Amino acid sequence: SGELYCSLPNPRNVHFESINMKNVLHWSAPEGTGDGVLYKVKYSVYGIGKWIRKPECRKINRTWCDLSSETADYEEQYYASVKAFLNGMCSDWMETTRFNPLTDTKIDPPTVNVSSTEKSISIILTAPEKWKRSPGGESVSLLQVYPGLQYNVSVLNKKTKKRWFFSISNNTLVVPWLEPGTSYCVSAQIHVTTPLLRSGFSKEYCIATLKDKTA
Amino acid sequence: EDALLPAPQNISILSTNMRHFLTWSPVTIQGETVRYSVEFQGEYEREYANESWIPICECSLITATMCNITEDISATVAYNLRVRADIGARRSEWGTLKGFFNRITTSLTPPLMKVIADGYHLLVDLEDMGPAFQFYVLYWKKGQESRMQQKMVKDVSSTVHLDTMEAGPDYCVKAQTYVETINRSSTFSQTQCVRAQGGRSMWL
Amino acid sequence: TGVTEIRSGFNAIKANIQARDPIRTLSILSHPHSLHKVKSSDKCCIIHKLFNFYMDKVFKHCQTEDSYVNRKISSIANSFLSIKRKLEQCHKQNKCLCGQESTEKFKQILVNYEGLNITSAAIKSLGELDILLDWMEKSH
Repeated sequence: SGELYCSLPNPRNVHFESINMKNVLHWSAPEGTGDGVLYKVKYSVYGIGKWIRKPECRKINRTWCDLSSETADYEEQYYASVKAFLNGMCSDWMETTRFNPLTDTKIDPPTVNVSSTEKSISIILTAPEKWKRSPGGESVSLLQVYPGLQYNVSVLNKKTKKRWFFSISNNTLVVPWLEPGTSYCVSAQIHVTTPLLRSGFSKEYCIATLKDKTA
Repeated sequence: EDALLPAPQNISILSTNMRHFLTWSPVTIQGETVRYSVEFQGEYEREYANESWIPICECSLITATMCNITEDISATVAYNLRVRADIGARRSEWGTLKGFFNRITTSLTPPLMKVIADGYHLLVDLEDMGPAFQFYVLYWKKGQESRMQQKMVKDVSSTVHLDTMEAGPDYCVKAQTYVETINRSSTFSQTQCVRAQGGRSMWL
Repeated sequence: TGVTEIRSGFNAIKANIQARDPIRTLSILSHPHSLHKVKSSDKCCIIHKLFNFYMDKVFKHCQTEDSYVNRKISSIANSFLSIKRKLEQCHKQNKCLCGQESTEKFKQILVNYEGLNITSAAIKSLGELDILLDWMEKSH
């Protein structure tokens, strides 16, 4: 196609936002352009360098593009780039920094399942899954991606307001010898040592130990 | 030509718990403000980079006689360190630390520790000494020192749960720091003993 | 343990160093042969060769105008040297044998390196340190 006159201001802050390796390219609209701006996106595998267009993100007016599928191999690193169009004018291609899915992703907290008896609570933690192409696709736990993955568990006694802290490698924890009829709130965090990654703490899951039948 | 400034003397290292400081005696010139600059040289610089020296910009032209070199002493190799004095255009020779400094020689102090009995649960609060530190916590039933149990603790941001306790006997705890990068430990802290009793904490 | 320190030193300058490498079409470490395809039996030998490669051919050619970056490169290089010393003990005890495949792979890395001028090749290699660390840590 005829070369457009590329003096449109550039898209800004082109970067990947990645959670559990769902890798989405984001950017801000060019300064002062208002509505009507369209964009196209391309990406490349670092070291191969052939730029590949993303058809689903051609002539789009939104400022994001999901490149999870194209960047699913976390043993590779990637660049992505965005170009803006408006009224026959275009911007330059604006690139991300080099994106390493393994180290640049954020990890969600684990899911927490809690059950209780009279004097104990049992906690089962589940690490989030790596993004997958389709709901029916093969599930890969982040535990497989990060073998050194550990859990930090916080247990709060609602009566005494005291919080205890456990660091465990496997995904189950039983806390025995608790006070009957007392509410305990549990939250957990994922901690990977190499590379250094840490999720936030999950929301708190509260459960009460059963009342002492003999009392 | 201005008289050469004397080089700083008594250059030495203070290193405790992986925090390293270079210190030296002040160069005193009547009515003048003397400033100092510090440089370091790792084993890599000596063997692979023509014995080059690297300035520490936080300690360039400072008036203090101490420099925090922790950030730059970041490998377990032998480092050279040197400091010189400046007054305006006048500059001294370098004063160099006698011998190398390797962080493996840092002195490690036992951690501050507080042992808590919360109902039947044995817990410990440990001082946060920075990311380089882990803690070996030993705990045992008083009188059963041969059946000591050990827990390695990395994250000390809040009270760490050690174990559950039977009602009645005393439980004792002591801890030491461990620095993986130099593979060394501190001496143990004082032993602290507590006892579980129903739901109430008991200190001994 | 030293790898964790290298990783944190590298993270401090990763964006700066990678921004100095405009060449997208060539990688020193990951193409055409990926480190992740190295057989585990060859891993020790490749690590040993790569540590020597970084000591001899990379760090010394990465001087920048930024003193903070230079200090971090010194920190990484000295940590490399510390680990290299430990690796040498393995190598002396013959626990680190080089098979045909690893020799070929390393040869390709040198070809990639020599395909650029020295400074560009050194900066590109330094910018790919996370590729090396990711691979080393993967099956640590």
